[in-house]
Amino acid sequence: MLAGRFFPAMFALSWFMLSVDAQQADSTEVNIRLEDVIVRGEPYRKVVTRASALPMEVAGERFLQQHFTGNLTQTLEHLPGIHSMDIGSGFAKPVIRGMGFNRISVTENGIKQEGQQWGADHGLEIDAFRAERITVRKGPASLLYGSDAMGGAIEIISLPAPDVNCLLGEAVLLGKSVNATLGGSLMLGVKHNAWYAKMRFSEQHFGDYRVPADTIVYLTQRLPVARRLKNTAGLERDVSLYAEYRQGAYGAVYAVSNAYQKVGFFAGAHGIPDASRLDDDGDWRNIDLPYSRVNHLKVSSRQQYTIDGGQLTWDAGFQRNDRDEWSLFHTHYAGQLPPEKDPDRELFFSLDTYASSLKLRLLRSTWEHTVGWDVQYQQNRIGGYAFLLPAYRRLTTGLFWIASWHLRPGLTLSGGLRYDRGRIDCEAYLDRSYDVDRRMDDVSGSAGVVWTPGEAHQLKANIGRSFRLPSANELASNGLHHGAFRHEQGTPSLSSEQGWQWDVAYAYEARGLSLEVSPFVAWFGNYIYLKPTGEWSSLPHAGQVYRYTGAEAVFAGAEVSLSVDLLRCLTYDMTAEYVHTYNVDEQIPLSFSPPASMRHTLSWTLRGLEAWVECQSIAAQCRTARNEDPTPGANLLHAGANFSVAFCGTRAQLALSIRNLLDTAFYNHLSFYRKIEIPEPGRNFQLVIKVPFKNN
Amino acid sequence: MKVYSYILIFCLTAIFPLSTVSCDKDGDTVKPVINLIEPAEGDVLVIGEDVHFEMELSDNEMLKEYKVGIHHNFDGHSHSATRADLEPFLFEKVWDVSGKKNTSVHHHEIVIPTTAAPGDYHLEVYCTDAAGNEAYIVRNVELAYEGGDHDHDHEGDD
Repeated sequence: MLAGRFFPAMFALSWFMLSVDAQQADSTEVNIRLEDVIVRGEPYRKVVTRASALPMEVAGERFLQQHFTGNLTQTLEHLPGIHSMDIGSGFAKPVIRGMGFNRISVTENGIKQEGQQWGADHGLEIDAFRAERITVRKGPASLLYGSDAMGGAIEIISLPAPDVNCLLGEAVLLGKSVNATLGGSLMLGVKHNAWYAKMRFSEQHFGDYRVPADTIVYLTQRLPVARRLKNTAGLERDVSLYAEYRQGAYGAVYAVSNAYQKVGFFAGAHGIPDASRLDDDGDWRNIDLPYSRVNHLKVSSRQQYTIDGGQLTWDAGFQRNDRDEWSLFHTHYAGQLPPEKDPDRELFFSLDTYASSLKLRLLRSTWEHTVGWDVQYQQNRIGGYAFLLPAYRRLTTGLFWIASWHLRPGLTLSGGLRYDRGRIDCEAYLDRSYDVDRRMDDVSGSAGVVWTPGEAHQLKANIGRSFRLPSANELASNGLHHGAFRHEQGTPSLSSEQGWQWDVAYAYEARGLSLEVSPFVAWFGNYIYLKPTGEWSSLPHAGQVYRYTGAEAVFAGAEVSLSVDLLRCLTYDMTAEYVHTYNVDEQIPLSFSPPASMRHTLSWTLRGLEAWVECQSIAAQCRTARNEDPTPGANLLHAGANFSVAFCGTRAQLALSIRNLLDTAFYNHLSFYRKIEIPEPGRNFQLVIKVPFKNN
Repeated sequence: MKVYSYILIFCLTAIFPLSTVSCDKDGDTVKPVINLIEPAEGDVLVIGEDVHFEMELSDNEMLKEYKVGIHHNFDGHSHSATRADLEPFLFEKVWDVSGKKNTSVHHHEIVIPTTAAPGDYHLEVYCTDAAGNEAYIVRNVELAYEGGDHDHDHEGDD
């Protein structure tokens, strides 16, 4: 049944935003518990986006299945305004409207994911098989999530428990040709009266990925590569447990998850540069030095008490992110000897995060108020023979108030205020980094309107002030960032990043046609970026020093999406996006500006079979910061088909897709390997087989 | 209806700055150009002698400085262990070329001391312009004694 309407518009971005088809997909047939407000018969997406004055995307179960890649960030990249910053085919981190790193927040079960997201070689440590529903807030979200969410927030939400007692589960198999991925996930769940519990185990193994190129530029010389990018193999292993209890007014959620990733780095992007490191080692499945290992443990709980017209929620969580990078001992400092223990461990970071969030929500027929108090404490320890980021302790706390008024049918005003305080204490490291102890506070706020004059039109506008406390690397890092071969240095006296952001979204939806346009402008009085100083680094293999500096900056852009039902079973979808970044002080663009891009998708649906073809156009990015190379554009062709077959009393769902059908050599302007001119993966065949089961 | 027209004005003002930001004049992001003539790729630099260094630098606006670095590329430990009195040669020096758009550089200021260990080295040249744009080039060179000692056995190094 589900498979029957499985992919009316595969890879169509506007589909899940507006089209009527998609709304039915997002489980209209069941009651949806939206933070305990029961909404009958209305799609989650519509309810959520209507309530927010900020532009929002909702990726439901179907979207996540259709765009499944085994990597959550690469799946979300199919949403307009979202990009994926990749490190080969293993790690990837999200970018929203040109902002990434510490400028966006990712939350799961109400707890903000905390890893080493400041780093260029970091990827999001969340099991892609586990994500059931995702909302993305594009724009200033620091009112809701505090300091780091100034560019937006990605919320990973668990689907509501089934209505009746049952045993359920699924088995998923994933195969990819480009890097010989073999992966799978097994989920088992049980709903029994007030309890709902599920557990999941996922694992993926992949080899070196194929590049559609014979040569790459390395050490300013063009060198041959063996069509596979040496040492980009890796593995990922995730385990999670989730339990939910609901009895009367009381509800509780407990979640434990552990994500482990080990991914090789292309040897040319690490250590002392030498052409012999590119030589084929004859094994494209091994993970050799240099490589990175991450283990992310997350424990969280939610306690909730709901009474008539009010709700009290307390979220608490603990996370430990252990990340290390291994590379054959080398040093940029004369006289440094390898450590006795783990001589090849280059960098080690262990970040502990304790978080608590208390919220009180009051609801009446025409207004709604939420007040809350967040506290987060972090402790970062370091190790390894190299130094980049200091050990630090960070305490942040914030008080907020958010309100919305339903002035009349179809018109809602919303707004809020938030006050945050933070303290960060970075430890000195030898003679390379000073002790930095900073206390900062700031106010953020927003005001917006959602106007729905009729069923067909909706207009949203929002103005928000957001801020971000400088992170430890911006205050106190000092060292060579490999890959970039750049000497990066923090500035202890940086003040907090702050700006104003303005968003508008217009949506039109009528029979067979939907359109959404969402332009935005943001102005930052103090935007922190890495500025080339013109001072020479004292370290060999480094040019000048790059120092974190504040500047006035402007971001502007828009996303457009359109969906048209051409024939009864033929749908056309188009999405386009553009971001313009500008460093006002230097009169140049900012680095990592995503290029303009567009996707055209035709999808054809007939009985259980869905087929789609997509043309993705990426414009050249010539607007680059200093010492960032322009990236040429590309046109890519993708195609796929999906169908379901009866299998042992259930329906197995099969999805076959071919990415980069023409094996075009192209570059991702945001990719970690872009700096050393390594193209993105070539043609990829992917097969996903999913077998769900449910036993009442 | 008045409230609706306010909302429309609120929205339209957001689109206005979008159309203006794209006309800003951009600052200098063009890198200087290094044309390194000598040493060439694979050249032998003679231990105990100076290096014939010759290159042309140019920039669209204004050059600032250039830096020459020479570092060993022994890729292992075999070379440094050969003789106790020999040390891997490490060279770093910055020259000022500010105030010029183009310049020809020709000097013999890099001298390789007799204590330098022979073997494979990287010669890196960095050049910056007044705005902070940076170009660089890497050459593989070999340090060797005069008289053709440089074709000694390299198989042990890999």
